[in-house]
Amino acid sequence: MADMTAAERLDRTLAIVPWVANQPDGTATIKEISERFAIDADDLRDCLIITSMVGIHPYTPDLLINAIVDADTVTIDLPDYFRRPLRLTAEQTFALLTSAKALLSVPGADSSSALARGLSKVLASLGEASETAVDVGIATAPDAITEQLRAAIENSQAVEINYYSYGRDDTGIRRIDPWAIHSEGGLWYLQGWCHSSLAERIFRIDRIRAADLIDQTFITPDPLPVFTLFDGSNALGQITLLLQPEARWVTEYYPAESIEPHADGTTTITLAIGSLPWLERLLLRLGPEAAVVDASPSLVGVAPVAARRLLHLYRD
Amino acid sequence: MTPTDKSAEKFERQMNLLAALSDTVQGIRAVDIQQRVPGYNADHDSFRRTFERDKKDLLSLGVPIEVVTGATADLTAYRVDKAKYELPDPGLDSDELAALHLALETVTVGSSPGDMARAMWRLGGVVDAATENPVGVPVGELTEIPSDSSLVPLFRAVTERRVVSFAYESSAGISQRSVEPWHLDFKRGRWNLTAFDIERDDQRNFRLDRIRSAVELGDVGSQLHPVPSTPTPQADPWEFGDDAPTLTTVRFDSEVADFARESLSSCAATNHSDGSVSFEVPVTNWPAFRSFVLSFLDHAEVLAPAEARSAMVQWLELISEDARG
Repeated sequence: MADMTAAERLDRTLAIVPWVANQPDGTATIKEISERFAIDADDLRDCLIITSMVGIHPYTPDLLINAIVDADTVTIDLPDYFRRPLRLTAEQTFALLTSAKALLSVPGADSSSALARGLSKVLASLGEASETAVDVGIATAPDAITEQLRAAIENSQAVEINYYSYGRDDTGIRRIDPWAIHSEGGLWYLQGWCHSSLAERIFRIDRIRAADLIDQTFITPDPLPVFTLFDGSNALGQITLLLQPEARWVTEYYPAESIEPHADGTTTITLAIGSLPWLERLLLRLGPEAAVVDASPSLVGVAPVAARRLLHLYRD
Repeated sequence: MTPTDKSAEKFERQMNLLAALSDTVQGIRAVDIQQRVPGYNADHDSFRRTFERDKKDLLSLGVPIEVVTGATADLTAYRVDKAKYELPDPGLDSDELAALHLALETVTVGSSPGDMARAMWRLGGVVDAATENPVGVPVGELTEIPSDSSLVPLFRAVTERRVVSFAYESSAGISQRSVEPWHLDFKRGRWNLTAFDIERDDQRNFRLDRIRSAVELGDVGSQLHPVPSTPTPQADPWEFGDDAPTLTTVRFDSEVADFARESLSSCAATNHSDGSVSFEVPVTNWPAFRSFVLSFLDHAEVLAPAEARSAMVQWLELISEDARG
């Protein structure tokens, strides 16, 4: 009995006792109980022997828990208490609903699966307010494309994708050896070798407009390169910005080369830049909330030039 | 006495205490607990200390102990309402239990693994997975869903229909908000709350990462406004604002039209012969919407109303005149 905390022992026993009592004839084997509730057989016996001494005043036999512990089996007959396990805490209920809903939001998840059935039973037992309490949108990727990609990964078969590159602000066809699918921050990504750039690349699956399997196989690297969303490319150099307090989110959002907070709430941040459209978007969004302190030669004047280009839309 | 004996004694005493609390309708007085529940010391002070610790232990497991205050501490009565204690039987089959277990193991939402193991015991223990894969697609790729300290209190407020209050940072600064929480959703890596804002007398959306204080829970059942029966569409950043909604028209060229359709699927759309598309978007947070439109660079243009169009022009002019840029 030494290894379990008192709270653990109590919690587990309060779950085991009604479970055994609800089995046919109120009987279960020590082996099954210890497997189901991950408890050492000797600890289990100790807990149940103590349980057989539990009851209410004046502790006549009819008011005690009737637990008979044999060498291999346990039989429990309960008075009018401990007949059901304790309710889940709010933390437990929340984690259960959220994790089940997250898995069911995976593209292609089977809505008649054991998980879906289990979740709907749990929701029904919790009552009306819980049914609509939480939504988890892990995925926005189109099912058909994700299915194509999964098939391609499984068969080590290359694909041609029609992809919108946010970084380059450009749509085009690329040939990819698809290695794996990952989820991060609520979005789905394809990791693979890009034959157009002759390098490993990460693609957001919701930006793939079409995926076609082509008749060419490849060998998936083993082990896979570590999946990381930020490629750390600084092909275009670096830029240093002075951020106003309201633009501090930038420091939490993007990996920086350096971050220096100042006493007045402003922050100096240096970013490695691999894509011009990416930098244009950042600076246009930030506007006066960011001032360029220093920039590699190819990055000088990016924001005013982009702003003037966009202004043409409004003046034509 | 060895520590093991002591721990076994404590276990037995707490089991007996819980049985005594469950067997009473009116409640059992502290003084009677001392006399009738085996294991408590005859010494008054020592009993109080042990009893308070036991009570705390039971509460930490989630045992709903109710207190009927008496004239003195010893006359105060305690009870556990079985209806509130007992887990309603969901009637899970073993494959469903196995699937829920796998879900808890695959997706972590900030709870400790130990706490999740306890949840599984209460649901009937862990059985061997009947199927390796509970949803029919590979799931090994999933990572963690970020947690937030406001999540569980807000979840309780939704399910128990409680009013809550918290400090919230919006574009107008930090203010104290009293709301009736209706719905939590996780979208694009962020947790959001849909609620009825009591002071503003209307539905509002809140980002959990902008809540700047602990969430204070009101009474159970204190919400007055019914949760809308139609599911609330997940809110976009430009709907998280205090401005009155302005219907704003934006045109997206053919290059990005598909992505705009995905992002703005709930808005009225007009398709044009050149492949471009325009949308009418209700905006309550202009800076957020401006950022959204700018993320399309030259592929998106604000058309109407005139105020929104000129606000965009002013913003761009400000940037274009910045010599340092």
